[in-house]
Amino acid sequence: MYHVQDEVSLLRASLAGETDAWGEVVVRYKEAVFGLCLGFLRNRADAEDLTHDAFIRAYTNLHRYKLEKKFSTWLFTVTSNLCRNRLRYRRYHPVIAPPDHINGGNDPAHIVASEDRVNAVRAAVDRLPVSYHAPLVLRYYNELSYKEIAEVLSLPEGTIKTRIHRGKLLLKKDMEKDGVVYNESG
Amino acid sequence: MRVDNLDQALSEALHQEVREEVYCIDRLEERVVAEIEGRIPRRGVLDFFRRMLAPTRGARIGQLATVGVTAVVFLTLGVFLAGRITPSHQAILTPVMASTTNGQNQVLFVMPAPGANSVSVVGNFNGWEATPLADENGDGIWTASISLPDGRYEYAFVVDGRWWGQDPLADGYVHSFGEYNSVRYVGQVGGGA
Repeated sequence: MYHVQDEVSLLRASLAGETDAWGEVVVRYKEAVFGLCLGFLRNRADAEDLTHDAFIRAYTNLHRYKLEKKFSTWLFTVTSNLCRNRLRYRRYHPVIAPPDHINGGNDPAHIVASEDRVNAVRAAVDRLPVSYHAPLVLRYYNELSYKEIAEVLSLPEGTIKTRIHRGKLLLKKDMEKDGVVYNESG
Repeated sequence: MRVDNLDQALSEALHQEVREEVYCIDRLEERVVAEIEGRIPRRGVLDFFRRMLAPTRGARIGQLATVGVTAVVFLTLGVFLAGRITPSHQAILTPVMASTTNGQNQVLFVMPAPGANSVSVVGNFNGWEATPLADENGDGIWTASISLPDGRYEYAFVVDGRWWGQDPLADGYVHSFGEYNSVRYVGQVGGGA
């Protein structure tokens, strides 16, 4: 266990080659990065791989990170780029077996029968076009502001707002087909 | 079923799926640290060889200078000989890049693929969507001219559905997920042609 507490000291120590300091950074951010990968890719095995790769990539590029900037935003940028690469790779190397879906399955009959609203939301997210995944996950899992999401994904803030709004409309519409009704807010 | 707040449901669903799968990143920090430690050169071994080769700092500088001069001599010789023995199709394979008035560069992508049925180029300049190459005279050299602003571009060819990431005309290559992509620098960007 590494005992330095503040993030900047940890990052400075990591830059100086103290690998245990980077281990502590991994402990602090691994769940957030894993959540982003899982939400983005909708596949556990890929998310597990890319969480590992993201921390390796971030460490090897740590000299490019500017200490005055928010570290999580930079780390999420590195992660998002890896996720995009993986999606592109998947386009040309489709998985022969169906991806190991995170949980439950997306059979509407199953969802309605189980009346599990969480599963209903997750199945609907699975069915969303992939361009909506990252903005929604960064907003509702990583709890980033629109501005931060725009920075992470290198897209205009307006585009992010539109994608989140449209993504939620699509989710709402999709779930209504299964008898799940939501009132939109925010 | 009726739930009042979509934002809350979305957040809850995303958090729950992470909670259910988070076991797979248990002790991730140990794996990451082990990997980065494996990548750091073992200083003891390096020091041993360095001292074997040149015991003093002055001698090491002398050695480096000798290696440098030798490299320059061989490089010059290589360039000279390459100019004399270049195959005749080299002219075709030379990257063509002509700046136009609006700040765009006309970049020629060339892929020799005799017998192929389709060749396309995918890259970060076209959102990794295929731009087809053409072989109009049937000589097996497929080409496409694409207008690009200054920048660094990653790309690969797709020949009959197969990924072909190492363009011989590229300025460099990146390796990810077990495969290569080519890199081309266009216009006023550091890194080459």
